[in-house]
Amino acid sequence: MYVWEFAALKPYWGLIGQGLLVTLFYTVITVVAGLVIGLIVGILRTTAPRWVSVPLRLYIEVFRCTPLLVQLVWMYYALPVLIGVDMSPAMACFIALSLYAGSFYAEIFRGGIEAVDVGQWEAGRAIGMRRGKIFRRIVLPQATQVMIPSFINQTIMQLKNTSLVSVVAVGDLLYQGSVITATSYKPLEVYTTIAVLYFVVLFPLTLVADRVELKMGAHR
Amino acid sequence: MSALIAGNIHKAFGDHEVLKGVSLSVERGEVVTLIGASGSGKSTFLRCLNLLEMPQQGELAIGTHRFAFGKGSRAPKDAQLAQLRENVGMVFQHFNLFPHMSVLANVTEGPVQVKGMSRAEADALGRDLLAKVGLADKADAFPSRLSGGQKQRVAIARALAMKPEVMLFDEPTSALDPELVGEVLSVIRSLAAEGMTMVLVTHEMAFAADVSTRVGFMNDGIMAEIGTPEETIRQPRSERLKAFLSRFHETH
Repeated sequence: MYVWEFAALKPYWGLIGQGLLVTLFYTVITVVAGLVIGLIVGILRTTAPRWVSVPLRLYIEVFRCTPLLVQLVWMYYALPVLIGVDMSPAMACFIALSLYAGSFYAEIFRGGIEAVDVGQWEAGRAIGMRRGKIFRRIVLPQATQVMIPSFINQTIMQLKNTSLVSVVAVGDLLYQGSVITATSYKPLEVYTTIAVLYFVVLFPLTLVADRVELKMGAHR
Repeated sequence: MSALIAGNIHKAFGDHEVLKGVSLSVERGEVVTLIGASGSGKSTFLRCLNLLEMPQQGELAIGTHRFAFGKGSRAPKDAQLAQLRENVGMVFQHFNLFPHMSVLANVTEGPVQVKGMSRAEADALGRDLLAKVGLADKADAFPSRLSGGQKQRVAIARALAMKPEVMLFDEPTSALDPELVGEVLSVIRSLAAEGMTMVLVTHEMAFAADVSTRVGFMNDGIMAEIGTPEETIRQPRSERLKAFLSRFHETH
């Protein structure tokens, strides 16, 4: 029977905390960047002419149909060679994670916008509203209601996906775990702790998602 | 004085020619009803009157707004379209209320967002209009809580809030349960009595006969007959209209 020795992790709590902060930091900045990319790309996909929307479709499909790990490694090792600039691991991770999130958010935005009945656009036009205003005041609020559950799900995925940055030695939670394991020889305690920490952060988020979904149903 | 003049309106969707040169002029205070089989182009023509559909040829004049379509004329800009529609109210078959806004907010959205009216002034106007359509007590409800007839009356109040010169009704009672038709028709009737200029597309023949100054029969993309209700409904001239009316009476 294995005897758990969580006490052995005591000297490493600082490192674990640091790793957790890095994970949360990457989640927040790449979710924000991803949402901005996703909103712009999602809107352009529904409204822009073909010469804009077709390349955007290509972007979305490339990022949806290749593994994030491959994208990360490619950004770090291949892109710098291609464009002749040095890329820090942190920068490569930020770019890959943001573009990856953006491609998924874009599809969620597009789906949400297209789910709003054309009659809503017409009703807005019929009272003299301009396109931009109809979009902001009539269409987007309704699209958002449809989209919020998918957004929360995608954001949960995004937090978990940040663990991949450990591959290029960015000091997130998982990376710190492997560092601590190497010096403490306690892989079981270390990785269990890390799994629990991910869970403790994400589980409340899923509860929020359920609550929001319920509330959204109220006015329908 | 004419409130609305549409001249030689043509509209095709792909190869399908829906309007083959339809003209109509409506005097101020007139109520013109368009009848005809589905697919005759009457709804498309109505939607051309506030340019929700863009005609490919023809002219449209409503108040000070003038548009020409076809060769040599430029497509109207978004701003011009918005200005026209400020003056032309429209009520849709499926209401198209904004589901994420309260009833009052639905009515005040246009005045506040398009006309720049103050919130307080718009709320007062909105409550007046809701009282007028018999829904003063529903101001803070959401559309999902309303019956179809109530939704359509809110939609009428929303259109009236822009103080339009002309009101368009696109089959306003077709999506309603039979017992709810009356409440919507009575609101439209009271608008007619107040002298509102209106163009309606409807299948309510008795109502059309009763409320209209003129009734137009559209068939196959043209205005086949138009005249007083007496002329069009009681003394139809063409075989097409006679057939339409007798078919109609059999099924209603």
